[in-house]
Amino acid sequence: MSSSTSGRDDDAPDLICQIDCVHGMVDALSSVRWKRHQDAVLELSEHGIVVIVEESGCLQAKVYLKRELFMEYEYAAEGRPRFGLSLGLLVDCLNTFSAPGHSSAVEIRYPGPDMQLLLKSVGSPDSCMYAEIRTRIPDTISWDYHFEHAANTQVTFTVKSAVLKESIEDLEWPGSSIQIQMQPDPPSVIFKGEGHGDLEIEFPYYANTELLIAFQCDQEIAYRYKYKFLRATTSNFPSSIMKENRGSKVSIGNGGMLKIQHLVSVARPGMQYFRNVAGGAQQPSRIAYIEFFVKPEEDENNMNDA
Amino acid sequence: MELSMSGGALRTFTRCATCLARVGSDLVLQAHPAKLELHTLNSSRSAYASISLAREFFDDFRLSAPAAAASAPSSPPLQCSVLLKSVLSVLRTPTAALDRIAASLPHPDAPKLQLTLHCLNGVKKTYWISCSAEAEVQTLSLDRGSFSSHLTIRPRDLARLLSNFQSSLQELTVIATDPAAGLSNVGVDGEVEGKAVELRSYIDPTKDDCDTRLHTQLWIDPIEEFVEYVHSGDPVDVTFGVKELKAFLTFCEGCEVDILLFFQKAGEPVLLVPKFGLDDGSSSDFDATLVLATMLVSQLTDSNVAQQPANSAQHAEPRVSATPPPVPENVSNHTKIWSELSGSAPKSFEVNREKHTQKGRNANANALNDTSMLHSVNAPFKTPVADNANDPYPKSLQLNIANLSPDVVSDNPRSQHHPSNWVGADEEDDDEEEDEELFVQTTPHYMD
Repeated sequence: MSSSTSGRDDDAPDLICQIDCVHGMVDALSSVRWKRHQDAVLELSEHGIVVIVEESGCLQAKVYLKRELFMEYEYAAEGRPRFGLSLGLLVDCLNTFSAPGHSSAVEIRYPGPDMQLLLKSVGSPDSCMYAEIRTRIPDTISWDYHFEHAANTQVTFTVKSAVLKESIEDLEWPGSSIQIQMQPDPPSVIFKGEGHGDLEIEFPYYANTELLIAFQCDQEIAYRYKYKFLRATTSNFPSSIMKENRGSKVSIGNGGMLKIQHLVSVARPGMQYFRNVAGGAQQPSRIAYIEFFVKPEEDENNMNDA
Repeated sequence: MELSMSGGALRTFTRCATCLARVGSDLVLQAHPAKLELHTLNSSRSAYASISLAREFFDDFRLSAPAAAASAPSSPPLQCSVLLKSVLSVLRTPTAALDRIAASLPHPDAPKLQLTLHCLNGVKKTYWISCSAEAEVQTLSLDRGSFSSHLTIRPRDLARLLSNFQSSLQELTVIATDPAAGLSNVGVDGEVEGKAVELRSYIDPTKDDCDTRLHTQLWIDPIEEFVEYVHSGDPVDVTFGVKELKAFLTFCEGCEVDILLFFQKAGEPVLLVPKFGLDDGSSSDFDATLVLATMLVSQLTDSNVAQQPANSAQHAEPRVSATPPPVPENVSNHTKIWSELSGSAPKSFEVNREKHTQKGRNANANALNDTSMLHSVNAPFKTPVADNANDPYPKSLQLNIANLSPDVVSDNPRSQHHPSNWVGADEEDDDEEEDEELFVQTTPHYMD
């Protein structure tokens, strides 16, 4: 494709976007950090940026940063560019842009001359901070943890994120494999761990109207998951999740695939909101969506129907 | 056994578990018809903590029929032994978030103790803790009347006094004198009312870092610091572990009760109990006891020979190590006694329990067994005494270290401490006159 025939400027970067609160983006990305060194894949699209992290084929996390979160979002790519970089590096780098007392608006640009991710501080007339992060072609095709709900109906519950986090932390004591069981009658969710001691944590639907905010389950199912992966889904929440009393949605799909969704607020409370890119008069929702997928352990004790 | 507790009892129970966990590692539960007892013994067998929760402490307390029958005097009560670490894991959930806790031990041989936490937010957490195979039964009950002296102190005040000592201090000596005894040469003003009690850090002089550690002496006027102080006759001193004392202090502080310390003399255990106020009826549904073994060696000697007994951790067999330094002329009967006993070859052993116990046990086949019952001792030099009412406490409680082999270690029989560093009754020492707040006067002369 030559530049003469195309009306577009081929030199235009695939994406130029500006985010006004870097801190919020750091919070969102930190919640999928469970190890020191993690490789992330970033996928750019006209809808926003998705950051995907994976571990040993059993655990995957995605952070959705919709374009509405950005002050500006100019997307000029064809298709959806994907590139890999170190998640820790990205988070640490973004952190350096959020110095207190300075406007923490950052412009992100991709690709640079050498396929880097370019970051630049904006908003301050006197100085500019500039960073480049090298990217690489993602090694593995990050397969979409194809999440399908079981046969006809969803099996899902929504619980306060703080309660979920506390329960998972309590489950550290028993052992390395945790069973999650859901039953329709009486409606409840039961986490079980066995080891040198046993622990069973139950969320009964009728115990307290505020405990299970939502619950849907038609048949009894139970699957086992490795504790360390479960732990990764809640260990690095930003404290804003607790402060804002958010809920997390847990679903178990076909074959026992576990999906946990969190909401992380990206804006600092009290910050001036900018009009969203679409120009709507409404305050944009300043929420990033976090999704975790955990594969079940191969287990012969599955109580569910095949 | 089934029980259930809520509210204030939950907080007290958590405090009990925390205190016991700082003393020992195994918790023995004994269920009697009228109460539940929790005991623990520390690994070096020098501290025994026991908490008794009356039936009224619980919302619900039931022993199943066979268990109730089993608690007839002749047969052992329903009991099980669990790891305190596991209990603390269960109690991780903050008490404020709990509605109630229920515990259940279906039958005496049940392999697991079940604890159910009902949280205020509706979550129900059920824990099953494995019971240890062999429950080592230790019941130790000391008759408070058998102690000649006691003192009562507020936890806050004790914490303040202890804060003067190095936080890593392991042993503390309490020297108690008769406040009514005539004190002729106390200080410059010749006040009769001296500081009758002294707290002194005990540092094992055989350890390498002896001279780099902070040595502290504190003279106390019992009228100012203690709620109550009863001691008459000759001065006595007791040296015991600080770690367990601090655990008990925290416990009493949380329960808002004063600490009552009973003592007799060096070598005999001290007993600590919470002092419930006479008009405080609500506190009667639980009780606690801490028994600490004390060093057999008394610290009460003339200052010049102060190092000498400190060198040795003496056992029931009264062999004192270290070459006796020159004995000054104004020796009291006490000093005389100790000098007579010394004279055997210096030997060094660590007073510090944990390591000591290991070494001791390896060194000698007569060592106390982990699994041995408290009152059956393999000590060759003391007749094992059965745990009966006549002998209020087993002698073995004093034996925090097994009988060591008599190898002579001549390395450091004495502390490098210059005697004059040790503030004592040495009148020539000018440092005495320094007007530090707590060091106004020396301990009243208790010799002669």
